[in-house]
Amino acid sequence: MHIYILRRLLLMVPTLLGITLVVFTVMAASPGGISAQSLVEGQNLEPEAKKALEDYYNRRYGLDQPAPLQYLRWLNNVSPIGFEVADDGSYGSFSFSKGADLGDSFRYGRPVADLVAERVPITLLLNVVSIPIIYVIAIAIGVHAATERGKRFDVSASLILLALWSVPTMLAGVLLIGFFASDQYWRWFPTAGLSDRAALDMPFLPHWSEAGDLALLFALACAGALLFVAASRYLPAALRGAFAAAVGAALGLGMAQQLAGGGLTVALLVLLLGGLGYAIGRAEFAALRTALLGLTGVALGIGLAAYWASGDFTPGFLLDRLWHLALPIFCLSYGGFAFLAKLTRTAVLENLLADYARTARAKGVAERDVLWRHVFRNSLLPLITVSAGLLPGLLAGSVIIETLFSIDGMGKLAVEAVKGRDRELVLSITLIGGVLTLVGYLIADLCYAIADPRISYD
Amino acid sequence: MTEPAITKAAATDVGAQQPDRSQSYARRVLRDTFLRWGARFGLAWIGLLAVLAVFAPFLASSHPLLLSEGGQWRSPVLAHLTAGDAVLLALFAGVVALLPLSIAPRFKLLALLALTLIGGGSAALTLEPPALTIHAQYREAEAAGKYDWVLRAPIPYSPKDYLRDYGDTGLEAPLESGRYHLFGTEENGADVLSRMIHASRIALGIGFVATGIAMLIGVVIGGLMGYFSGLADIVGMRLVEIFEAVPTLFLLLTFVAFFGRSLYIMMVIIGVTSWPGYARYVRAEFLRLREQEYVQAAEACGLSLWSILFRHMLPNGVAPILVAASFGVASAILAETTLSFLGLGLVDDPSWGQMLNQAVKSSTFNWWMAAFPGGAIFLTVFAYNLIGESLRDAIDPYLKKAKG
Repeated sequence: MHIYILRRLLLMVPTLLGITLVVFTVMAASPGGISAQSLVEGQNLEPEAKKALEDYYNRRYGLDQPAPLQYLRWLNNVSPIGFEVADDGSYGSFSFSKGADLGDSFRYGRPVADLVAERVPITLLLNVVSIPIIYVIAIAIGVHAATERGKRFDVSASLILLALWSVPTMLAGVLLIGFFASDQYWRWFPTAGLSDRAALDMPFLPHWSEAGDLALLFALACAGALLFVAASRYLPAALRGAFAAAVGAALGLGMAQQLAGGGLTVALLVLLLGGLGYAIGRAEFAALRTALLGLTGVALGIGLAAYWASGDFTPGFLLDRLWHLALPIFCLSYGGFAFLAKLTRTAVLENLLADYARTARAKGVAERDVLWRHVFRNSLLPLITVSAGLLPGLLAGSVIIETLFSIDGMGKLAVEAVKGRDRELVLSITLIGGVLTLVGYLIADLCYAIADPRISYD
Repeated sequence: MTEPAITKAAATDVGAQQPDRSQSYARRVLRDTFLRWGARFGLAWIGLLAVLAVFAPFLASSHPLLLSEGGQWRSPVLAHLTAGDAVLLALFAGVVALLPLSIAPRFKLLALLALTLIGGGSAALTLEPPALTIHAQYREAEAAGKYDWVLRAPIPYSPKDYLRDYGDTGLEAPLESGRYHLFGTEENGADVLSRMIHASRIALGIGFVATGIAMLIGVVIGGLMGYFSGLADIVGMRLVEIFEAVPTLFLLLTFVAFFGRSLYIMMVIIGVTSWPGYARYVRAEFLRLREQEYVQAAEACGLSLWSILFRHMLPNGVAPILVAASFGVASAILAETTLSFLGLGLVDDPSWGQMLNQAVKSSTFNWWMAAFPGGAIFLTVFAYNLIGESLRDAIDPYLKKAKG
């Protein structure tokens, strides 16, 4: 096992070399390329000052050297083993412990490592929150769709999931920001950034000035949840549908009241939300229905509590952060869970029809155990394979999300680096992205061995 | 295409009947695919887009289709036709004329190519669209009563016609003023629907050309890898890994930011960055196929490598590539959208992604500027995904087993 991991890690080196070489070649071969001229371009300077600045950049980044030499120089700086570089730029003896240096950014003039260290946690935060959401929803829907193969839930779920997967992130983001974060419609969410300036001075947890408000909040939230869960579980289907439709229509009416729009808007919203409520209420999939209705109940309880509260309320840092994350996380995860749910469905379906599942049923194992103990474990393999590609996919997704929601993460840094022709930054981000991807593949392969004892790498 | 009896039987239960050996594998897969309603919907939407793209200058243009001035008839639209428009029209005419003919696909393709080249070449030589387009001239002349009658396009606004002559144009919600903008206007006063119709050319073109390039590279490299295996396979797989390990979007960004923003460069770049998936599929298929007797027979006959790889092996391994290509077109369109959205797209021509970007950039939220172009992107991507899904179901042996 250890030897296998070591071999895989060593095999990463040529791949990483290839990646950076491709990106560097693109930069070097492009018209204009990377040169000191392109860096000082556009700055309104005296010719002498311009010349001096160019010389400075040339000296600092070695931009006047031929391209292959520039690449080798960068490689020597980045790799932990190589020739030592003295302060004046001359090369010393070969060393195995000189340490890696990502270099300085052209535009920011700061070490790339610092820049990246600032941005990575933010992107990781986005991804760490969305990955569990993606997996939980995908597995719940995918497994249920597979057991209901060919029925109404399966057919409608596959269509909705495929549609969801086809919605461009930009479109979802623009519409969500436009409708739920702008002054023109409902200003429920913040437009940009990760936290309000005011929230930085707040305590971490939310705070109420009157204890009664807190009690009210808990009581109403619990009451709402209980009422809606009970409605979802114990009412007959027709009543359930009517109940959910009524709640949806009432919500639609309430939302329409906040707008100045005429009768058409009201009718549209009431119909839309009422129809959505009806569809949820009539859904056969009990767990999903109960979860959705229960959440609605909690939200309604909290809303009422906020309406009746008398004292002051400080949201606190945590709540503010979550508030800012809500829309970006949604945009980041819906495509992922749509894709993953379809995959789960295929994998589970394949195994549900397998001979061993039939054997298990024949010897009297309960269908529930067949599904979760036998079939599901075997269906994990494709999910693990995909998880390797999920991380780079989410990184790419955060490029759009971060630009759209003005979050200062890696994705936004990447776009800025590329637009600014920042050689060191572009190469470093490529390198980091490549390492993350390859490590993702490696972890996926190792997880294979854990999930499936038949696979071993010795 | 086939007799109605067969179609009907197949429609009721696609997988249950014995495969009809009289047709080639690829043809059977295609027939199975387009019996599914998803694929039909997808094909219908793409066909509609293709028609819109080809006839865009006649559907949305500020220049009248036909007018009569002092008893003289003339057609300003034809006078403003560019060589690009003519090539598209020739291509469309070629496809419509050649599709029903029953000749080998090779000859069809050749004839289509010849027709397009001849049509485009002669158009480029004869057509002389005016260098300076004044969109307002016909409206003004009409208002001045110079014409006896004027026949206008269904959407009487060109994509870059900012309606300056009205003097009061700007942002307009759909059907807000009497000027009949079905999808509203953007901030400069240009008609959104007209821009969308003209931009459908870019969406379709990018999808087809980029995927074609990616498929070509992928099939050649993957085919060689799978056929020779050994050293070629190891080296090739490293190459595939390299291209897969760079986040595609990031490579695209780098390419476009450093090489400029022309449509053709964008097509080539999206193609060049998305071939590894195809190479993987082709390699897997060829590794399987090379053990089969007919390949060995072809080798024993002394056929050339080209012939073995692409005449004998490829048609039998084409199905998974088609599935990948169908999803690939969708992701190529999304890639263009993303690039345009990040401000790295085309500069002068409107594309759907660029229109979406415009909606984001504007200071107020105007839903029609985001919803219509975004909806068009969504529908197109959805259509390709539906086709891909149906293709995959059609070639999936598991599904057939489950149904039968």
